[in-house]
Amino acid sequence: MIAWTAIPALLLVLVVAPLLPGIATKTKSWLTGRRGPPVLQLYFDLGKLWRKRSTYSRTTTWMFRLAPLALLVTSVGAACLLPLDGRSALLGFRGDFIAFASLLAVGRFALVLAGLDTGSSFEGMGASRDATFATFAEPALFLGFVTLFLISGNLSLTGMLGVGAGLLSAWIGGGGHAAPALALITISLFLVLLAETSRVPVDDPATHLELTMIHEVIVLDHSGPDLACILYSSAVKLAVLGALVVGVLVPRTALPAPLTGLVFTGGLVLVAVAIGIVESVMARLRLSRVPQFLVAAAVLSTLGALLVLVR
Amino acid sequence: MTLFFLGLGLILAGGAFAWLLQRTRIADSVFALLVSLGCAAALIPAAGVLGGRTVAGVAWDLGPPTGIWAFDIDALSALFVAVVLGVGLAAVLYGISYLAPEREHRSVGGTHFLTALFLVAMALVVTARATIPFLIAWELMALSAYLLVVFEDEQREVRRAGLIYLAATHIGTLALVAMFALWGTHAGGFTFDAFSRSALPAGAGAAVLSLALLGFGFKAGLVPLHFWLPGAHAAAPSHISALMSGVMIKTGIYGLLRVISLIGGAPPWWSWTVLALGALSGVLGVLWALAQHDLKRLLAYHSIENIGIILLGVGTGALGIAYGRPALALLGFAGAVLHTANHAVFKSLLFMGAGTVFRATGTRAMDRLGGLARHMPLTWILFLIGSVAIVGLPPLNGFVSEWLVFLGMLQAGAALGPVRAAVLGAGVLALIGGLALACFAKVGGVVFLGEPRSESAAKGREAGPGYIAPMAALALACVAIGLLAPPAVRIALEVAATVAGAAGPARQDVIAPLTAAASGITVVSGGLVVLIGLAWAWRRMLERRRPSAWTETWACGYNGVAGRMQYTAASYAAPLLAAFARLSGIRVARAPGAFHTHPFDLVLERLVLPTWRRMAGTAEAIRPLQQGRLHTYLLYIVGVLLALLLYLWLGGAA
Repeated sequence: MIAWTAIPALLLVLVVAPLLPGIATKTKSWLTGRRGPPVLQLYFDLGKLWRKRSTYSRTTTWMFRLAPLALLVTSVGAACLLPLDGRSALLGFRGDFIAFASLLAVGRFALVLAGLDTGSSFEGMGASRDATFATFAEPALFLGFVTLFLISGNLSLTGMLGVGAGLLSAWIGGGGHAAPALALITISLFLVLLAETSRVPVDDPATHLELTMIHEVIVLDHSGPDLACILYSSAVKLAVLGALVVGVLVPRTALPAPLTGLVFTGGLVLVAVAIGIVESVMARLRLSRVPQFLVAAAVLSTLGALLVLVR
Repeated sequence: MTLFFLGLGLILAGGAFAWLLQRTRIADSVFALLVSLGCAAALIPAAGVLGGRTVAGVAWDLGPPTGIWAFDIDALSALFVAVVLGVGLAAVLYGISYLAPEREHRSVGGTHFLTALFLVAMALVVTARATIPFLIAWELMALSAYLLVVFEDEQREVRRAGLIYLAATHIGTLALVAMFALWGTHAGGFTFDAFSRSALPAGAGAAVLSLALLGFGFKAGLVPLHFWLPGAHAAAPSHISALMSGVMIKTGIYGLLRVISLIGGAPPWWSWTVLALGALSGVLGVLWALAQHDLKRLLAYHSIENIGIILLGVGTGALGIAYGRPALALLGFAGAVLHTANHAVFKSLLFMGAGTVFRATGTRAMDRLGGLARHMPLTWILFLIGSVAIVGLPPLNGFVSEWLVFLGMLQAGAALGPVRAAVLGAGVLALIGGLALACFAKVGGVVFLGEPRSESAAKGREAGPGYIAPMAALALACVAIGLLAPPAVRIALEVAATVAGAAGPARQDVIAPLTAAASGITVVSGGLVVLIGLAWAWRRMLERRRPSAWTETWACGYNGVAGRMQYTAASYAAPLLAAFARLSGIRVARAPGAFHTHPFDLVLERLVLPTWRRMAGTAEAIRPLQQGRLHTYLLYIVGVLLALLLYLWLGGAA
C-alpha cells in the first residue's frame, strides 16, 4: 500500500511545481510579444513572502490562519496519491482516487471558509465563485476517473495510470472505443485543470480588478508566509492536475526510470505551455458562462465513459 | 432480548418520572439517569450482535385479534438499534438542557415523556418481527413525533407543519397496511418469518415492493414524498429535529432493507427506480437546501439529500441482487447502512448546533447571524466537525460511507450487461458532494465567521456544558468512525451481508480486501490530521520569531468591514441557484441594486397543496348533499331503492 520508492519523483514534482506557472506566463508573454517575468519568478516571490511577517484582520479567527496550512497539506497529500514515477504512488489503495478528489475538496472548503472569515464582501464574492465553479468541476473529474476505471479495470490511481493500466494499448486501439474515450477525458481533465487552478478562460490570474477575480480575491487578505503557502499550494495543485492529464495522455510503459522521468517532466512543461497558449488566444468567459464551460467538460467525460461503457 | 426490553422499560420509566415529577428539582436528574441506564442496557445486546454474537428472538402468541408478537435482533436490527439509542441518548440529554428555559410556561416533563416514548417506539420498529407489533410501534412513533413537533403550538406555522406531517405519515402507513395485508394473504401468516418463507407470485411481489417504496419512502422523505419533512423538522424543538432527521427517517430505510431481505431481492425495474429516486433526492435536496434562509430548514433539506445518497447505495445493492452480483450487492448495501449510521450522528450534531445557536441568539435566520465563532468557540468547532462530516470529506465518517457508495457504483461498471449503466451514478454523487460542500461552507461562513449581521448575533454567548457535552460525544463518534475506517467498513459489510443474504466464501472475498483498502483511508485521514497539526505548530513557531501584525480587513481601499457589507447566505448561493434554476424551480429575482431568492418547495407548493385545494373544493361542492336532516337521508334511501328496482326491472326485461 505504501511504496517508498515513489519518494524521489514526489520530491521532484514538489520542487519543480513553482516552475509551471512561470512557464505558462513566459509562453503567454512570448506569444503576445512581451518579455515577461523570469520563469523562476514564483520562487523569488515565495522567498520574499516567506521572509515577511503576516498581517491579520481583527475580524478573522483561527480558521483564516488554518486555511493556508490545510491547503498546503491537502495539495501535497493529493500528490502522494498519484503514481508520479509511473510505477506506484506513495500511498495507493482501492478507491484512492476518491481520497484524491476529497483532499483537494478539503483544501477548498478551508479556503472558502477563510474567505468568509474576513467579513469582506470581496472575499465573500471570491468564496461564492470558487465554491460554485468547483461544484461544476467535480462531476467532470469523477467521470474522468470512471472512464479510466472502465478502461483499466482498476480502482486505484496507480492501477489506472501506472505501468499496468494498459493505457498504451488502449490508445493504439486495443479495446474498442478506448482511444476516443481517452482523448475525450484528456480534454475534459484539461478543462477541469484550467478551472481548478484559476486559469483563463475561467479566471484570469493577471486581472487587477477585484470584482472580476476568483482565486485572487479569495486570498486578498492573506499575506506573508500564509500567502506563500497558498501560492505554493496552487502551484502544486497545477502540477498534480497536470500530472493527471499527462498520465492519461502519455501512457507509462516499462521504460527505464530516467527516461520515464524525462517524458513525464516534458509532459508537465507541455501542459504549462498549453495553458499559456490558451491564455493568449482567448479571453476569459463571462462569469455566468463558466458553469456552461464546466458542464461541457462533464459532458465530454460522460461521453468518454459511455464510449467504453457500451463497448 | 430480556436486557433489551428491560432497557426500553427503564427509558419509559424515566419518561414517566419526568412527567410526574416535573414540578420537583430532581425530575431532570432522574430522567437523565434512567434513560442513560436504559439505553446502555438495551445497547448491550445490539453491540453483541454487531460483534458477532447472536440473540435468541422472542415470540408470544397473544391470540386474536393481534396474533403473534415476535421480536428479534439480527445484524441489521442491531445497527439500527445502535443508531436509535446511541443518537437518541445524546438527543435526550441535550433536550434536558435545551428545554430548561421553557419550564415556566410549558409542560416540559410531558415532552420528555413523549421523547422517551418516541425512542422506545423506534427501537421496537427496528426489532419487530410481525406485522401487528411493527405497525403499532410505527404508529406510536409517528404520533409521538407529531405531538413533539407541535411543541410550540401557539404558532400557526408550527400547527400547519404538524398537520402536513400527520397527513403525510398516515398516507405512508396506509400503504404499509395494504402491503402487509397483501403479503400476509399470500404468505399465510403475518410474521416476518412467514413472509421470508413464502414465495410471492410476480404480480404480488411487484405490488408489495411498490407499496413498500411508497410507505417507507414517505417516512424516509425521498423526493417527491419529502414535502412534510422540512416544515416538520424546522418546527420541532431542536433535539426533536435531531431525532427526526437523524433517526426517525432512517426507519424508512430500515423498512426498505428489511423488505428486500425478506423477499430475497428485488427485480431490476424496482432497483433502477430506487437508484433514480436516490439521484433525484440527492441533487434536489441539496439544491433546495442552498436556497434556504432558515438554518434548520436548510439542515432538513440536507436530510433529503443524504437520504438520496443512502438510496443510491440501496439501489446499487438491489441491482447487485437483481443481476446476480453479490459483490455489488454487498458494497451497495454496506454504503447505505454505514451512511445511515453516519448521517444519524452528524445530522443530530448539526441540529443540536443549530439549536444552540438559536438559544444563544434567538434567531434561525442565517442572514441575521454571523461572527459567532468568537463568542461560541466550542459550538463552532463542533458544528464544523459536523459540517466536514456531512460534506463527506476526510478525516471524518461521512467520507468513509461515501467512499463505499462510490465503490459500489463503480463495482457495477466492472460487471457485464445493463447493470453497468449504474456507474454513471458516480457523476451524480460527485455533483451532490460538490453542492454540499458549497452549502456547508456557506452555513459555517455566514453563521459563525465574519462580523455579526444583527444585534442578536452580537450578543450570542457560549452555551453551557449541558449543550456542549452531548454534541461533543457525537463529534467524537464522527472522528472515531472516520479514523477507524476498517472496523466500521467490516461491520457495515457484515450488516449488508444479512440484507443481501450472501454467505460463505463469496462474502469473505469482498469483506477482507475492502477492510484492507479501508486502512488506506485511515492513513489518509490520520495523515491529514497529524500533518495539519504539525504545520500549525510549525507556523506558530515561525510566528513567534516574526510576530504578526493585526489590523482591519482590507476591503480594497475602504478599510474596515461592517456586518451589513458582508456577503449574505443569499448572495453567496445566488450563482449556483441561478445556474440550476431550471432544475430546482427556484428563481433568483433581480432588480436594480437588489436581488432576492425565495425558497419554496416545488412539490409542496406546486403539487401537494394545489391537489389538496382541489380536493377540498370538490368536497365543498358536494357538501349540500350532507345537510344532517333525517328526512333528506330517508329521501336518499328511497331514491336509491327506486333506482335499484328500476335497474333490476330493466335488467330482467333484457
